Amino acid sequence: MDLLSELQRQADQVEVVEIESESTEVGFEANRLKSSQVEGTKGVAVRVVVDGKLGFAASSDMSALDRLVTNALESAAYGDEIPIVFPGHQEAPQVRTYDQAIVDLPIAQLVEIGREITDHILQIEPDAQVNVALERGVQRASIRNQAGADVSFERSPLSIFLEVQRVKGDDVLMMFDMHGTTVWDEDYMGFVRQIGEKLERAKRSATLKSGHMPVLFAPEGALVLGLPLMLGINGKNVYTGVSPMRDKIGATLFDGKLTLVDDATIDAKFASAAYDDEGVAHRRNVLVEQGVLHSFLYDLKTAVQSGVESTGNASRGLFNPPSPSPTNLIFQSGETPLAEIIAGIDEGLLVEDVLGLGQGNVISGAFSNSLSLAFKIEKGEIVGRVKDVSIAGNIYELLREIAAVSRESKWVYNSFRLPYVLLPDVNVVAKK
Amino acid sequence: MREQIHAALARSKADYTEIRLEERESTTVAYRGQDLETAQAVIDAGGIVRAMCHDGGWGVVTFNDRSDLLEKVDQAYECARVAQSEQPIELAQILISEDRLSVNLEDDFRGVSLADKKALAERYNQILLTHSDKIVDTHCTYNDTFSHVTFANSEGTYIEDERPMVTIYTVAIARDGDNVQTATESRSGQEGFGFVQERETLAEAAAQRAVALLAADSVVGGQYPVVLNPRLAGVFIHEAFGHLSESDFVYENPRAQEMMVLGRRFGQDILTVYDDGSLPGLRGTHKYDDEGTPTGRADLIKDGILVGRLHSRETAAKMGESPTGNARATGYRYPPIVRMTNTAIEGGDISFENMIRDIELGVYACDMYGGQTALENFSFSSAYAYMIRDGAVAELVKDVILSGNLFTTLMNIDAIGDDFSWSKSGGSCGKGQGGLPVTFGAPHIRIQDVVIGGK
Repeated sequence: MDLLSELQRQADQVEVVEIESESTEVGFEANRLKSSQVEGTKGVAVRVVVDGKLGFAASSDMSALDRLVTNALESAAYGDEIPIVFPGHQEAPQVRTYDQAIVDLPIAQLVEIGREITDHILQIEPDAQVNVALERGVQRASIRNQAGADVSFERSPLSIFLEVQRVKGDDVLMMFDMHGTTVWDEDYMGFVRQIGEKLERAKRSATLKSGHMPVLFAPEGALVLGLPLMLGINGKNVYTGVSPMRDKIGATLFDGKLTLVDDATIDAKFASAAYDDEGVAHRRNVLVEQGVLHSFLYDLKTAVQSGVESTGNASRGLFNPPSPSPTNLIFQSGETPLAEIIAGIDEGLLVEDVLGLGQGNVISGAFSNSLSLAFKIEKGEIVGRVKDVSIAGNIYELLREIAAVSRESKWVYNSFRLPYVLLPDVNVVAKK
Repeated sequence: MREQIHAALARSKADYTEIRLEERESTTVAYRGQDLETAQAVIDAGGIVRAMCHDGGWGVVTFNDRSDLLEKVDQAYECARVAQSEQPIELAQILISEDRLSVNLEDDFRGVSLADKKALAERYNQILLTHSDKIVDTHCTYNDTFSHVTFANSEGTYIEDERPMVTIYTVAIARDGDNVQTATESRSGQEGFGFVQERETLAEAAAQRAVALLAADSVVGGQYPVVLNPRLAGVFIHEAFGHLSESDFVYENPRAQEMMVLGRRFGQDILTVYDDGSLPGLRGTHKYDDEGTPTGRADLIKDGILVGRLHSRETAAKMGESPTGNARATGYRYPPIVRMTNTAIEGGDISFENMIRDIELGVYACDMYGGQTALENFSFSSAYAYMIRDGAVAELVKDVILSGNLFTTLMNIDAIGDDFSWSKSGGSCGKGQGGLPVTFGAPHIRIQDVVIGGK
């Protein structure tokens, strides 16, 4: 049955999304090759508008499409009254997200890369427990609607997860990082070398006294600052009124060194694609420019609710209707070399990784995190690892004054690009 | 389907093979604030093949397309050949079962119209919204899920199971200037539609508490005798202690083995902790786990002494102990791993009044808001709390975060209440694979010298 034409007879607007993917994963646990897994996914999701009311249904059972149709129409009968309009065909930028070299990667080569990573870490830290997961796959999706949109994607994600655990007596050090791409990247060891450097650096320890001091957030640590921003610029949180940035378009909310961009049009990145999950063309969205709030992120529904246009930020899983979400979120890097920033700190803290990211009242901007990996900076040099230290504050206050943003930046958790960010005065609590 | 399953298993070249197929239908109605977010039904069907070679490892294949099980079994075998265990994997022996289980729900939610489900969620949402003009946002979600699970392995076990679940979830968010407070109440069980009907009190409680918390002061940090309500005591034992009893954590971790030596004293004689996946009516209950092992009661702490732990067939074989029926999977996308089911602190004999009577200054901490554990260290925030003054419950306080060392804290439990109950809220455990239904059980308990961090 062709769902689009079948549903078009019974609904005013119809959207049919079909997905199919297969991925292969090999896992190393505690330095050993432990498991191998193949995952195949297939399913279809539909949205219909009947008498102005929106309905949704989804199924991964391709033999139950008649029930899918019934469910979609019933969902619309009791659905939300919303003047949503599915888009027609739109021109979109070229974005590269598929590479046959990844699709064809033999399992043996995934295993070999896993070994290379494990060996690299064990060379630096023979007592470490290294967990590595390598996953390559191919994803195909299509979005069609009654208005003429007919979009299909092909993506070839490759991701490598690395977790390092080192236990010495009562001292536990855990580190985590990942590398994701959709186009084969020869330098897959880059992020492993960085973890290695941190492990090396963590061998020395230092002590720190509580107080207010300059805090330099490394890209991973800067997620503490990025996460509240990510929630705050989400059109759904703006519409429901929980975003502290609601009604602030055009206002200078932050230091001029803060520029925040959402960009799905970068080749090879995980969240990249020519179109979003509703068939709206992707584009580069400047959210905050030199401290001034420019825009929020919307999908079709939240855009209609808010009286604006979709920014091309619809994101969905098979079993849920779309909702707005950032794609690749970029905190623009600055002018100052990292070495120069560190050299200028007389006494301060370098935050690499925190515990409890996302815990607490994140959207309010408040954070309070103990630090799983942090270093003391003294007289312009990183002197050693500090433990039992936590930081607290509110990003909406702290980001009004940024002392420096580094030239260097890094992709974190596949879809954030962050520089080193120096805040001049943060409350640091050290356990005695 | 049974014939295809048997044919595929018979063809497997692996030393052990299992197939688990699942068909799941789920209805969700969700309100957020004034808006209906969705009223929808989804159908999810898929399966998993897991194969093991003694001299290789585990190979896993998951899929939606169930038309060619033979191919999936071959793929799983190929995956099992890729992995290389240093020591051959063994599985502890279990009884071979053949069983067809079906549930008979009173007021089966599959027979209730979407209109009635929507009306129910809308009514509770209206209670949240209209309670006070300080309520600025709400979440109200109704969900029901009915799964058919078929499990078969190459040893001859064949089980068909039906797993229903109905849940109502209400959240009130109150604001006064920059002060934003959230309160949550929920109810969930393997029950019919009636289980979530006429539960207006849930929404009322959430709304009342969110507003009341606006006026509450932050607790003054310090060391206090603390009384935990049954819900918080239950979550506490699950998070801080239960996860350490899961053998997949213990057998690969030398530090954990040291900590979790059987026979070690963990608490005073009054403390008994167990996990039981066979108790009727609870969220974590199934007759068999996802390896086909019958569930039952596993004592973890008995009269203060560590006496047992939770196992899958693999961890049981590795540690020379018996499987406990705790290999569970969050649906067909995942292989089973060691998980809790219904975990509890056994009830004692002290009434709540007597428990607080001698407390001059203490904290009565209720429900869980969030938390984190790292080996023996834990940190939990309670959803709301009261001060205890001169033996009586006094004013509401907020921002109560309990932290400390697990061993010290368990030893400091010096009173266990006579009011044991299983929580009816929708407890889920997120270990590894996302939310799996579990239940927390406990009476009120009293702990001496708990460090409470205020803001």
